[in-house]
Amino acid sequence: MASDKELSDFLKSVEKRAFKRTVYAVRDEDGALDVVQDAMIRLAEKYADRPAAELPLLFQRILSNATMDWFRRQKVRGAVLQNLSDFETDDTDGDFDLLESLESAEGMLGAESAADTVARSQILLAIETEVAALPTRQREAFLLRYWEELDVAETAAVMGCSEGSVKTHCSRAVHALAQALRTKGIAP
Amino acid sequence: MTKSYHPDSALPAALHTEALEARVALRMTVHLHRAAQGLPHEITERLRFGREQALAAARRQRAAAVVLPQLVGVGERSAALGNPPSLWLRLVSALPLVVLLAGLVLIQQHHDSEQISAAAEIDSALLADELPPAAYGDPGFSEFLHSHEAP
Repeated sequence: MASDKELSDFLKSVEKRAFKRTVYAVRDEDGALDVVQDAMIRLAEKYADRPAAELPLLFQRILSNATMDWFRRQKVRGAVLQNLSDFETDDTDGDFDLLESLESAEGMLGAESAADTVARSQILLAIETEVAALPTRQREAFLLRYWEELDVAETAAVMGCSEGSVKTHCSRAVHALAQALRTKGIAP
Repeated sequence: MTKSYHPDSALPAALHTEALEARVALRMTVHLHRAAQGLPHEITERLRFGREQALAAARRQRAAAVVLPQLVGVGERSAALGNPPSLWLRLVSALPLVVLLAGLVLIQQHHDSEQISAAAEIDSALLADELPPAAYGDPGFSEFLHSHEAP
């Protein structure tokens, strides 16, 4: 059973990322705060007796459900479903070289200078904008896999899909972000 | 079947792409992490409030989980007391009925003795009177009594 301190430490470690992740999804800070608070309370009420090691996966799943509940309450489910279908139409840019894009994006990100705060904030803003613009499932997979550092199986469990789908969503999300950065010509 | 290899890597092309994706993704999330750490004070305070609410909810839940088994235990003990009643409990519960029956018997005996004593008084009065009891069976004497009672 997770102690009060373990639960508190866990929530403290995850709350900011959870908030940002929810903001990308709902595009509303107040709504995101409500969703995160709701998820934290649901976790505490229903799963406080679980071992601390199980909390991250449980919380991510609860947060995803709470976000969906928020959309249902806002009656914008139609918009969400529309976003869900977006990932099917990624092949329109036939001559886009994914590997080249990834390699150039890696070069730009890797060469970032810590001293150049203006450029860094530009990159940050661009990444945040592009992450928010990703189709819902791609963004969800990308953030869970790479930001929350869940493995493929855990991400699939949270998203309720197969591991293959997770890999596809992640790959498409990374390529879309890399392409968007390249298009914006972001250079640190 | 031969695997295709990326020219700049010893890894198969698919793995190379996957590794490249992971590296790019992780560098992007470093930026996202910075964004999360730089949240405005108002937002972090509201998150802190939400966290405290959640911890309070967890404490309430734990307290309820401790109290509930105790209540169940008390309920079980109560059920055990009422289910197979002890001999003393059965005797004590029958006491009011015994007292009621005894009271009824005493009242009946008192009523019988009152009737007997009333009859004895009448008998002794008749026997002690100068007039013989057979006179009350004589129709002429009855008529005499009626004529003297009437004004």
